[in-house]
Amino acid sequence: MSNASELFPQRRLTRLPGGYMGKILRVDLTTGSMKDENLPEEPVLRKFLGGQALATYILLNELSLKATPYGPENKVVMMTGPITGTGFTPGGTKVTAVYLSPLTDHTLGRGASSGFWPVYLKATGYDGIIIEGAASKPTYLSINDGRAELRDAGRVWGKGARETEDLLRQEVGIKDAKVMCIGPAGEHLVHGAMLCNDYNHNAAHSGGAVFGSKKLKAIVVYGTARPRLHDREKLIDAGLRWRKTLQVYSVEDRKDVGYARQLGALPNLNFRSTLIADHNRGFDQNRITQRPCFQCARLCPWDVEIGEGPFLGKIGHFNGGAEWMDTFWNLGVKGNATLYLAERINDLGIECSHFAFGAGVMFEAWEKGLLGPEDTDGLRLEWGNVEVVDRLLEMAARREGKWGNLLAEGPVEVAEAIGGDAPKWAVHTKKGTPAMHDWRPHFGQMLRELVASGGMKPQGGGTADPPPDLRYREKWGPLDRDDPTGWPWSNVLAEQYRQFCGLTGGCWFAQMHLKPDGLKSIVDSFNATTGWDFDLDEALVAGHRSMILQSIFGTQRGWIAEHDWQNVGPRFLEPVPDGKYKGFTIAKWLPDMVYEYYRLSGRHEKSGRPFVDTLTQLGLEEFREWGQLD
Amino acid sequence: MSEKYGSLIPTGRLLDGKPRTILFDAAKCIGCRQCVQACKDWNDHPRTTVYELSSTNWITMEPPVLEGLSPLWARNSCMHCEFPMCAAVCPVEAITKYEEGPVVINPEVCIGCEYCIYACPWGVITKNNIIDKASKCTMCSDRISEDKSPFCVQACPVNALDFGLQEEMTAKAKQRENEVGGHLYGDREAGGTQVLHVLKEKNEKYGIRPVGPQQYPKHKIPVGLMLKDLFTLRCGLQGKIRALYLAVIHPKRLIYRYWPWRNAA
Repeated sequence: MSNASELFPQRRLTRLPGGYMGKILRVDLTTGSMKDENLPEEPVLRKFLGGQALATYILLNELSLKATPYGPENKVVMMTGPITGTGFTPGGTKVTAVYLSPLTDHTLGRGASSGFWPVYLKATGYDGIIIEGAASKPTYLSINDGRAELRDAGRVWGKGARETEDLLRQEVGIKDAKVMCIGPAGEHLVHGAMLCNDYNHNAAHSGGAVFGSKKLKAIVVYGTARPRLHDREKLIDAGLRWRKTLQVYSVEDRKDVGYARQLGALPNLNFRSTLIADHNRGFDQNRITQRPCFQCARLCPWDVEIGEGPFLGKIGHFNGGAEWMDTFWNLGVKGNATLYLAERINDLGIECSHFAFGAGVMFEAWEKGLLGPEDTDGLRLEWGNVEVVDRLLEMAARREGKWGNLLAEGPVEVAEAIGGDAPKWAVHTKKGTPAMHDWRPHFGQMLRELVASGGMKPQGGGTADPPPDLRYREKWGPLDRDDPTGWPWSNVLAEQYRQFCGLTGGCWFAQMHLKPDGLKSIVDSFNATTGWDFDLDEALVAGHRSMILQSIFGTQRGWIAEHDWQNVGPRFLEPVPDGKYKGFTIAKWLPDMVYEYYRLSGRHEKSGRPFVDTLTQLGLEEFREWGQLD
Repeated sequence: MSEKYGSLIPTGRLLDGKPRTILFDAAKCIGCRQCVQACKDWNDHPRTTVYELSSTNWITMEPPVLEGLSPLWARNSCMHCEFPMCAAVCPVEAITKYEEGPVVINPEVCIGCEYCIYACPWGVITKNNIIDKASKCTMCSDRISEDKSPFCVQACPVNALDFGLQEEMTAKAKQRENEVGGHLYGDREAGGTQVLHVLKEKNEKYGIRPVGPQQYPKHKIPVGLMLKDLFTLRCGLQGKIRALYLAVIHPKRLIYRYWPWRNAA
C-alpha cells in the first residue's frame, strides 16, 4: 500500500482531469488542524474515479487495522465525483462517505446522499473531506469558499436535523448555505444513525454515529467555485440524453404506498404479512411539493403538508424511496400518522430499518406475551399505537432507558434481550438492517441485500432483463422465479454499473438502467466532463474495482463471505407469508446463489477474498496479501 | 422594427426577426431553482448566492427561502420589455433590443454609468463592480440565434417555463390564465414585455412590482449622477467621447434620458 504522502502529491505531476476541484480537505478534530491535500495523480483517479472507490482506497491506505468504529482513530472519508455539480446532467449530486461501520465493527460503512450539499462542497473548492480524530466538545465544520474552520456546536447539540440546519445557516450568516448534520441519534451513537442534509436527504448506514463519536455535529458548506469541464458542449448533449431516460415521479405517486406497490409486498406487523390495504388512507388530501435535487428532473424528493386528521398541517420532508412509510406500516401504523412519524425519524436521524426491525420484534413480543407492561415501564406495544411509536423513537434517538438503549443498538440486541424465540423474528443482515422494504419476493433484490460485496448496504440488484445498453453481449433473460440460474451474474453486473454511477458522482436513482441509453449517456457525460475515453466495459471494470475494495476492507477485519448468508435474521429468509408471491423464498437456493455471486465477481465463494488474478486484472496488485491464491 | 422603435433605441436581428416570448407559469412552478442554476451554468457564472440578483445571478425565484419551501414562487429577472427603457437611457448604445425579443447589454461597450440600473422598472439590472459593467439576463440571445430555447427554459423539470413565438405563447398564456383562474403579468406592463407570467394570485402575493402600462416608463436616474457625468470624467474619456458622438448622430435618443416625463413615441 502506498502511504498518504504518495497518494496525495505535494505537486501534481499529471494533469487534473475535468470535473475535479483538485483538493481534499483533511480535518483533524483532535488537534483542530486542517490541511489541503492535492487529489491523487491522474492514473489513480482513472482507476478509482471518486465517490465510494476513491474514498475507500484512501481509507484502506490510512485506517489502522486496530481502529474501532467509535475510537478517534476511525476516519470518515467523504468524496464527490467528477460529475457532481457540473449542472449539466441529472443526478450529478452525489457524495459518498465511508468509514469502519459501527453496525458490524468489521465491514465498510457507507452512506451516500444527494440534494445540494455535495454540489456546494465542490463549490467550496474541495472534492472531498477526510475527517479524523475526535473533538473534545460539540463542534461543526464550516467551509466557505475554501476557508475552513471548526466552530462550537454547543447551541445546536441535541437539536433535530431540521432545526440544526436552520440555526447553522443563521449562525454562519449565509441564508443559502448547505448543511449536513446529525440529529440526536448520531450524538447518542445510535448504531443506525444517519447524516442528514438539505431537509429531504439522508446518508444512512451509521455515518451519523461515527460523526457523533467525533462530536462533529455538522458540516456547513458554501462556495462559488465550479469544476473545469473537458468538453462542455458534449457534456450538455450527453446530459440531455441522460435526462431523456429519466422516469419522472409525479405528485400522484406520492399519494400511493410507494415502492411497496412495485415490489408487490408491503411490510406489515414485523414482516408477517405483505398485503397492501388502506395504508395510504387520507393521503389524497395532502398537499405535495416536489423538491428535486440540484438540476435533476427525476423529481424524487418531496414534501408533504398533511391535509386531514390529527396531524393536519404537519410538514414532512422525504426523498424518493418509501422506506420511512414502510417503517411504520411494519409497526401497524396506517394513514397520515405514518408520514408524521416518518418526518420524526428523519429529523431525529435514525435509519428507518434500524428502528423498524428493532421495534418490530418488541411489538411482536408484546403480541405473543413475551413482553408486558411491567417490562416496558407501562408502554403498551400494541400494533399501530402512534403515541407509543413516537415515544420509542425519542427513546431510541437519545438512548433513554433500557429499551431506548436496545433500540439504539439494533434488532439483534433487542431480540436477545427479550429472549425466547424473539431472535428468530429479527430481520437483519450481518447485524445491520436491510433497506426498509419487503424484498423477500424477489431474487435480485434479496441477493443484493445479502451480499453487498461484504459491505452492509448494497447498490443495484439483479434484474430479469439485461439493461438495453448491455444487450449486445448479455442474454440471460427473462430470469425465472423458480430457477436461480442467471440471477447471481445479473447481480454482479448490476452492482458494477450502479457502483460506476456512484463513483462518477452520479446518483443511481437517476440511473435508468432499464431504458435504452440509460448507461451509455452516463458514461458519455463522464467522458465529456473528465476528458477520459471510457467505454461501457471500462466503466463496469471501475465498478467492479469498487466492489473488490469494499470486500477487501471487510477481509482485512475478519469478514468472510459465509457471513453473508449465515449471519442473517431468520425472518428475512422466511417464505413470503401471503399475497401473490406466497411461499417464495430465496433460502432454498442458499448458499449456492451467494457462492456463485462471489465466484462470478472474481472472489472466493467462502472467504470472499478476491483471487490474485482478479486483483491483477483490476490493477489492485498492492492488495495481493489480502487476495486468495487458489 | 424601425417603424416600432423609430431611432429611439438600438435594434438588431438574431435569427428570423420573429418575436418570441418566455412564458412563466407560476401555477406550475415548484420553486426548485433549476432555472436559476441553469442560467449560471450556461453563462459559466460562479455559484454565488441564488437569493439575490447580481452580475453572476441573473434570475431569482422569490421569496429567498430554501427550494420548495414556499407555496408561491415568483420569477424575478429581465422582462425583455418591448420598449426597453434601459436601452433608451444608455448613453453609449450598449443595450440592443433584438427583434426576436432579447434586450442585451454588450459588456464591451458598457461604460458602467448605471443609468440602465436606475431606469429598469423592475430593478433587475445589476452592476459587476469588478469590471464596472452593467449585467442582466440576455434571454440566451446566443442560443436564440441558433434557434434554441433559453437554457433556463429547457432546464425546468415541471414545464413551468416555456418558450416560443410570441403569438403562440400569448395564446398559451391566455389558455392557462383561464384554466387556473388567474391573470397575466407582463403583457401590458411597460407597454408589453416578452416574458409573460401566468399568476394564480394577486401580484402582491408574489411580491411583484406594479408597473404601469406606459411605454418607456419614467426613469429614476438621480439628477446628481447625470450632472456628475456631464461635468466630470466619471466613466472615462473614451465613454464620454462615444456618448457625445452618439448624441450628435442620434439626438432623438437623448429624449428619454433627459426628459423622462416626455412621451416621444
